[in-house]
Amino acid sequence: MRSLPALLILAVAIAVPIAFGGNSYVMGLMVSGLIVAGVALAWALLGNLGGMVSFGHAAFFGVGAYTSAILSAKFGLPVPLALLAGACGAALCSVVMLPALRLSGPYFALAILAYAHIFKILATEATSITGGSAGFQRFPPLPTILGLDLSSRVGSYGLLVILVAICAAIYLAVKRSHVGTALRAMAESEDATRVVGVNATLLKAWMLLLSAFITGLFGAMNAHIINFLEPDYAFSASWSILPIIAAIFGGYRTILGPVAGAVLIYLFDQIVAKELLPVGHEILLGVLLAGMILIAPNGLFGMFQRKTAKGAAHAAA
Amino acid sequence: MLELLQQSLFSGLLVGSVYALVALGIALTFGAMKIINLAHGELVLLAAYMAYVIESRTGWNPYAAIPLAFVVTGIVSVVIYLLIERIREHRELNSLILTFAIGIILTNAILLVFASDVRSTGSPFLQDAISLGSVYAMKGEITAFIISLAVMAGLWWWLKNSWYGRAVRAVSSNRDASMLMGIDPRRVELAAFIVAGILASVAGVALYTMSVVQPALGPGLTIKAFIVTVLAGVGSIPGVFCAALLLGVTEAMTVTLASSALQELVGMVLFLLVLFFMPNGLFGARARRG
Repeated sequence: MRSLPALLILAVAIAVPIAFGGNSYVMGLMVSGLIVAGVALAWALLGNLGGMVSFGHAAFFGVGAYTSAILSAKFGLPVPLALLAGACGAALCSVVMLPALRLSGPYFALAILAYAHIFKILATEATSITGGSAGFQRFPPLPTILGLDLSSRVGSYGLLVILVAICAAIYLAVKRSHVGTALRAMAESEDATRVVGVNATLLKAWMLLLSAFITGLFGAMNAHIINFLEPDYAFSASWSILPIIAAIFGGYRTILGPVAGAVLIYLFDQIVAKELLPVGHEILLGVLLAGMILIAPNGLFGMFQRKTAKGAAHAAA
Repeated sequence: MLELLQQSLFSGLLVGSVYALVALGIALTFGAMKIINLAHGELVLLAAYMAYVIESRTGWNPYAAIPLAFVVTGIVSVVIYLLIERIREHRELNSLILTFAIGIILTNAILLVFASDVRSTGSPFLQDAISLGSVYAMKGEITAFIISLAVMAGLWWWLKNSWYGRAVRAVSSNRDASMLMGIDPRRVELAAFIVAGILASVAGVALYTMSVVQPALGPGLTIKAFIVTVLAGVGSIPGVFCAALLLGVTEAMTVTLASSALQELVGMVLFLLVLFFMPNGLFGARARRG
């Protein structure tokens, strides 16, 4: 019963390429939706386990994208290794953010927003490495493995589904480990947790690192899928905004919520919002985000979980 | 070279006074409610666009827009307060996300109404240059500086002498104790948001008269204001003012000595240095932040 939503999502994930495999528009939307899903998952991990709100995940996304693209194009690194390197690069740049961890909640959120701006400016100014605002292209696409062309829409889609599933599994493992227990206790009272000998700052640092790693991985994937990068795109605030809305909409305290939320929000943005308002379509996302915080801060999956939890309690009584 | 440095020092001081107004708005609502209003930069921008509306429709001096700008930013500020009030759980973090969302809404609303064009004042009086010794400034910059100083003096007087101002300080320093003294914190919070709206309206109009505005400017303003509050430490008005001037001067120096693309970067670097080495701010905070 508990795994029902997960199975349902898996079934939809398998059904989509069967139904729309030939339709490159739909598959393209799904691929981008899954990219957002990966970032939303990483954002929710930081928010739920680490208790930190980040407005700067675009920094990790962009760093992952550029690291992977540059390493594969200029140093001939095979794309799978470059993807991993991209993720590591993003994790490395989160190390630069560690001093911000000494700031509490709202100050941390703003510090990370400031960091995202720094990285965007750096990418624009370091023209010899990134090509600057002229953009950067001609880096290798995703390879063909075992006869499956990963650079095709269906291939990328399959790879992304697997990656999102792996990241969700990692998230679940962390949540259920003793680290997850310590972090939950920390959310209740950070001081009390320190007293019993938990290094709260270290745990938070690990969550930031893991979240940055996952975000960088999906940033790198996205770069090799679309094969073009420019600072305004790779570090675009959308890569911070969409995952936040997705995670809040789906329920950032759940694991499936951000994933399902990301695909839904992305489709809504592309199909409905951009159709209604070609310019300024993000206003609808803003209204949605504000509405969710005010009406249902636990998100769709959060409401569902709470109801089933209540039902279980009733059944037990 | 020396003249260039003098000039950038001077220009930096002038623009810094506007940063101070923006930062004080954020600091005021943070003090009263322990909530950072991420939409504050957008409020300032909204006021700047009101100045544009008045100037382009009537041809009056943009400063004539302050009443209109205040009505608009005041209403939006109060709406933001009422929405934050409705948050029941995890208010500290949820209010951040909420005000972030409001910022997105305002930015895009401005984009929808005014398009993404860059706007600036066309007033010949404000754009006229005057020289003070070896340095030059636009009259608009000087006017903005003087008005900012006056507003800050007014804020200082309000916080020190008026009942509401003193109540804001009381609630900022100890909410529970102030409630025991018969202060209704909700009224005080509302007052803080209205005054933040006034500060934003003046700052926005001043910004329009001395610089250019565009819809994407909001988050950058919020970040600058935040940097100023971090530099200043837990706030006194003179501390915020000095920190804002420091940011303005550092930015202006960077443009002169290096490149204008690095202007925003240097503020962040300053911010990081303070975080690393003086986590309580430059001007001696009493308590740990947050």
